[in-house]
Amino acid sequence: MAEETFVLEFPSSYKWLNMIDLMCTEITAGMDFGRNALNEISISVIEACTNALEHGNKCCPDRSVMVVFRRLEDRIVIEVTDCGEGFDFADYLQHIPDPSDIHKKRGRGIFIMKAMMDTLKYEKVEKGGMKVILKKMTDRGGEEGDE
Amino acid sequence: MKYKVREDGNVTIIDLSGKLMGGYDADVFRDLVHELIEKGRKKIVVNLAGIKWINSTGVGILITGYTTLRKNKGDLKLLNVSKKIESILYVTKLNLIFECFDDEHEATGSYTRG
Repeated sequence: MAEETFVLEFPSSYKWLNMIDLMCTEITAGMDFGRNALNEISISVIEACTNALEHGNKCCPDRSVMVVFRRLEDRIVIEVTDCGEGFDFADYLQHIPDPSDIHKKRGRGIFIMKAMMDTLKYEKVEKGGMKVILKKMTDRGGEEGDE
Repeated sequence: MKYKVREDGNVTIIDLSGKLMGGYDADVFRDLVHELIEKGRKKIVVNLAGIKWINSTGVGILITGYTTLRKNKGDLKLLNVSKKIESILYVTKLNLIFECFDDEHEATGSYTRG
């Protein structure tokens, strides 16, 4: 299968997240993922978009979130880019909060994506903003850890 | 997010539907929980059968409800947790916090047994 790319840009509003989920479902349909893996991809994409619009774009409707799905033979790669100031991901990983702490209202998104995807990377975008890259190998794609 | 409130004896069942993803939903659910506590309705079952989409912010909304009720000597239990929600709870170990049920009678009955 040649690589197929799908791009979507949406304003920072929760109302578009279901559309992203539907798009994700359509794109991953027919790939060699089991039901659990498909759920994990869907959950992770929603988390990435939620973080982008909440923390990156501060829910400002003038700022958009760009989502790129790259469907390959053995993997799905999803890039979510916001227009925010960005943050130090390596530093965050050193102080990642306990997701089971019931006194914390937030801060579980990155933990969830890290647990559910094979690769989770953050990159600062030159023109401003932060890009999260999620990758999951298909059942035929073999193992691949965090990069 | 939409909701309906029902009563079964001294247990209150909140039927949630739609998306549970943060923003305005957090205020609505917080106000509802406070309203129920003021009425003395502190034994809550949240029915998630109608929830189509949820994220970690949505789970945070449920946790806030849970901690508010626990501080007021109440409790919040979950009913009809989908596979997706179950995965989020499992990964974050919040499955150890929330009591989850597939059957409404078992959920409401757990309060009398407890």
